Formats: sequence, C-alpha cells, structure tokens
Amino acid sequence: MAMFTARSSTGPCWTSCHEPPGSSQGESRSAQNGVAPVNATARLLQSHRPGDEPLRVLSASGQLGYGIPEDAFRRGMAHAPHVIGCDMGSIDPGPYYLGAGVMAAPESMVERDLELVLCAAREADVPLIIGSAGTAGAGVHLDATLAIVQRIVARRGLRLRLATIRSDIPAAQVVSALHAGALDAIGAIDQPSPDAIEACSHIVGQCGTETFERALALDPDVVIAGRACDTAIFATLPAMLGYPLGLCLHMAKIIECTSLCCRPGGRDAMLAELTLAHFTLASMNPDAHATPASVAAHALYEQADPLQVEEPGGSLMLHDAWYEALDAHRTRVGGARFLPRERPSLKVEGASWLGERVVLLAGVADPVLLRVLPQAIAEVEQRVRTLVAGDWQLFAHVYGQGAVRELAPALQATHEAGLVLEFIAPQAALARTAAGVFKQNLLHHAYPGRIATGGNLAFAFTPSEIDAQSAYRFVLYHVMRDAPLDMLFPVAATDLDGRSHH
Amino acid sequence: MTEPTPSTRTLADMAQVIRSKNAGPTQLTIDVFLMDAAGYALAANSPAMSCAAVAARYGIPVQQVQRHLLADIHAIKYVLPRAIVAGSPGDGDVYGAQQHGPMLDIVP
Repeated sequence: MAMFTARSSTGPCWTSCHEPPGSSQGESRSAQNGVAPVNATARLLQSHRPGDEPLRVLSASGQLGYGIPEDAFRRGMAHAPHVIGCDMGSIDPGPYYLGAGVMAAPESMVERDLELVLCAAREADVPLIIGSAGTAGAGVHLDATLAIVQRIVARRGLRLRLATIRSDIPAAQVVSALHAGALDAIGAIDQPSPDAIEACSHIVGQCGTETFERALALDPDVVIAGRACDTAIFATLPAMLGYPLGLCLHMAKIIECTSLCCRPGGRDAMLAELTLAHFTLASMNPDAHATPASVAAHALYEQADPLQVEEPGGSLMLHDAWYEALDAHRTRVGGARFLPRERPSLKVEGASWLGERVVLLAGVADPVLLRVLPQAIAEVEQRVRTLVAGDWQLFAHVYGQGAVRELAPALQATHEAGLVLEFIAPQAALARTAAGVFKQNLLHHAYPGRIATGGNLAFAFTPSEIDAQSAYRFVLYHVMRDAPLDMLFPVAATDLDGRSHH
Repeated sequence: MTEPTPSTRTLADMAQVIRSKNAGPTQLTIDVFLMDAAGYALAANSPAMSCAAVAARYGIPVQQVQRHLLADIHAIKYVLPRAIVAGSPGDGDVYGAQQHGPMLDIVP
C-alpha cells in the first residue's frame, strides 16, 4: 500500500522509473532539483489545498475512441477542472483485442477524441490522465496510442511532458505465482497450465493508484497508462493531494463511466467536486440528472459485489456510503471507506491464439428443415469431415433457435432462423475450405421430409463465407497475490515539443 | 402501509429495470430494480425470487448463485457464473447483455 502524502511529488525520481525527469532530449520543461516545477501535475500539487475549495475532477470519457460528446465536454471545461481523466479500455469487448494487440475503437475516432482532450487540457494547463490505452492496455496498445498522441502533438504544435505506465506482466512472473499457489481464478475460469500462460500473446495487469502515483511523481502534463484500474485514473491525484482515499476511489468508481450514473444515462462528461467530507456529482449534459437513486444504482453495474470493490492495495467499502440530492441535477455522496490489505493483489488478464476464424452467414426459412436443423448441421459436418481433412472446428450459432441463450423447444423458431457457422482452424485457408465446402453441402443436403429442393439456404450476399480475423480466448482472468506492484509497472516520462516540427 | 399481497404480475410488469451484464469475463450479474418499496418487499420476500428459483431458471446449481438485497434503492442483484468465458468459442453473448430473459416472466 503506497503512502499518500500531500504535495510530495517534487522529490527525486523513483527508483523504478526508466527515464528520470530532466533527462529527456530537447528543451526540458521538467522539475529539476531546486527549480520550481513547471508542469501541470506539480503545479496542482503545490497550489491546491484541500479545504480551501473543492477539487474539480472532470471525467471526459468512459471509453475513449467512440466520439466524446463535445458540447458536454466543453461545458465541463468551462467549470475549470483541476484534472481531466479518460478511461480508454475494458476487458468487456472480449479476448480478441488483448490477444491480437489491436484497438477496438476505430483509430480515426480515437485520434479525434485524443485531440479534443489533449488540446483542452493543454489550453487549460491541467493534468490529463488516460488509462487502459488502446482498449486492452498491453504495450502494443500503449504504443499505438502514443503514436497517435505524437501525431496530434506535431499537428497542433503542443508542448507537454508525457508520463507512461507499461502494464505488461511477464509470463514467467505469472507462472511463478502459479507455482507458489498465489494465482486465484476470478469466477468460472480454469486454472491455466504453465504452458498455457506462456502461450498468451499478451498478459496485462490492472495497475492501481500506487502505480499512477509513481507516474505522477515525474511531474507530467499528461499520463497515459496501459491496463489500469478504472478507479486509479481519477483517484490518484486527489489522494496525493490529501483527500481520503475511500472518497477518491468511490468518486472515481462512479465517474469513470461519465454520465452512465445519471437518469437518463449517457456518455456525456461528468464533473465531480471533491471536498474532505464528500463529493458532488453533476453531468455536463443538463438533461442527464444525477439522483441519489441513479448514482447508488450505478454501484451495481458490472460489479459482482455492490458494496465492496477490490483494488490492488485494498478494498473500497461502500457499506456506509450515503447519497443525497443537492438539487434536481446534482447528488452529493460520502461515507465510503478504504480498507488497505497487507499483501497487495493484482488482477491479471491474458489471452492466447486459438486459430483463424471464417464465418458462414445464411438464413433458413423452410419449416421442415427448421424442425431438424441441428441434426442436418451435424450430418453435413460428418460429410464435410470426410472431404476436408485437418484440425478445423465448427461452432454453430442458430439465431431463432437458442444462439443467444438456450431456448425451450416450444420457443424455437419454425418460420425463419439465422445461421452463423463459425469455423476455426490453424490456417485461414483450411477454415475457408471447410466453410466453403460446408456451405455447398448444407445448401443441397437431403434432410428427411424435404419438399423444397431448390436449395436450403438464403444468402443476403455472396461471398457468404467471410474471413473473421483470428480467434483468441482468455486464459487469465486471475488475481496474483503478493504481486510486487512497484516492480511490475515501468513508468517513464518524456518531453514532447510539437513546435519543433513546424 | 399495507402488507404486500401476492399478485399475478410478472417481474417485467413490476420492475423499472431488469438487466444482465458481465462482471468480468467469467461472471454474469443480473440487476432488478423495482418501482418502489412495496414492489421491492414483495419481490425480495418471494420464493420465486430466491437463489434456488433463479438457479433453476438458469439451469445451474443453487450454490452458484449469489444474491444481494439492496432495500435502499429497491434493487436485487444476482451473480452467476458464465457457462463459457466471454468470447471463447461457443459463447453467444460476449458482453452478457442479453441473458435477462428468464427473469422477465417470474411472478413474485
């Protein structure tokens, strides 16, 4: 558990940072010994005193890269926030993005959103903190995000000191934890073998406030982290200023989804005003209202335990949290506590490659076939296996007959159903071959009782078998106990000067 | 205040929100927000809303279902294991956002 002390960030560089302040090429704007800090973080840490005025924390985005609503964000900036935060990632979109090392959000929209928040933060000269870069937050995602940032810096002629946090966890570290009995599954996922861990294409850990504190000690204007606890993005600077960590984390937990905690919920920027005793929440969309019920209800969202949130260094306890309406638009919140744990734990996520995927899309509208469809698919699979050798797998999704969740026979569609037949093989060519041969054989399969002999499938377009990238699966969604948090997440800082490019 | 009485109204009639969503790739959470304290009391005390009843609807053992009662906000939350880790082959709902169906016609 890191110690938070007010206004302490101007000390010497932490031992694990790769590039100490002042060592960067070009004209350094960083803190030097004996020189007043000139960057946004140190300035805030030195100028803001809890108790004098509330700390204004603006959450600009809960999923950067899908179009930050600009009018609400501008309204938020008009409130002169002391710090701006953005969450940029999640494990929700599935194993592909972590495994393949690509962003889920379209790159041009990521660039648009980053430009919006970077320019606003530099204009206001306040710290900007971004977590879970590039969806999944591995090094490759962070680097892709940094490349976009550098383009923006050059294009807009920005000058800024950038701190980065790398969240990749070496497989060997996870294997050691496995051997030490310190790797616990979160929910229903198998304990991996050492080989399965080594086979992960990327493994990341969710860094917490301890790690962001090390990055902020480098006096950046902007922090961009790999995979991170959503809370740490918004809670660390307030905690370093001396605000109670329980309040900081509770505030962070709510605003990391921007206006989702409001009624009606949305994606508009959310402002929190933090004092030593409570925080006040307001959506920057005047029509989205934070009510005590809507805010309290948000604690349930995507959370297994609504009263206890696990962080690397301890637990956020919401048992005594209270919510009161300040007016029709704003809610005041207090009462959360932080319970440090003696031995830190770290959530780790890892995904490994399964094969190449091709999907076959078709519709079926014959009532006779619809009654025997699973059997027909099984029969065709048998035949195709005699024609296409090799290690290909078929996963059939029959929409209308229980593809989304199991359906009782009486509820299964007999008028029309959609087929998504998923083929996974070690080589895309093999998956393509299996899908193509399967299509033609199912199209003309003579199932019992057939009266429609023109063809069994309706295609919306051709080709109806489509390359669908690589298939991955999560191997790790585990807690690593006793993780050496201060060793695992390298932080570094660099000075970027876009004006030198003009 | 009158005692809640049994009714034939379904949960879909009584609730303002019934939703499912992943809590990470291995767990599914189902949140039910009732309209008011009376609806909450009826639902929270109903055998049809017990862990056992919900487990039966989802076809899993009762020990695998946790329930949280949040009277202050008239909410009941269930936590279930996902049958397949999100996004692994065979999964039909990566986000777990369309798994609320079996809750809708419960009569508390």
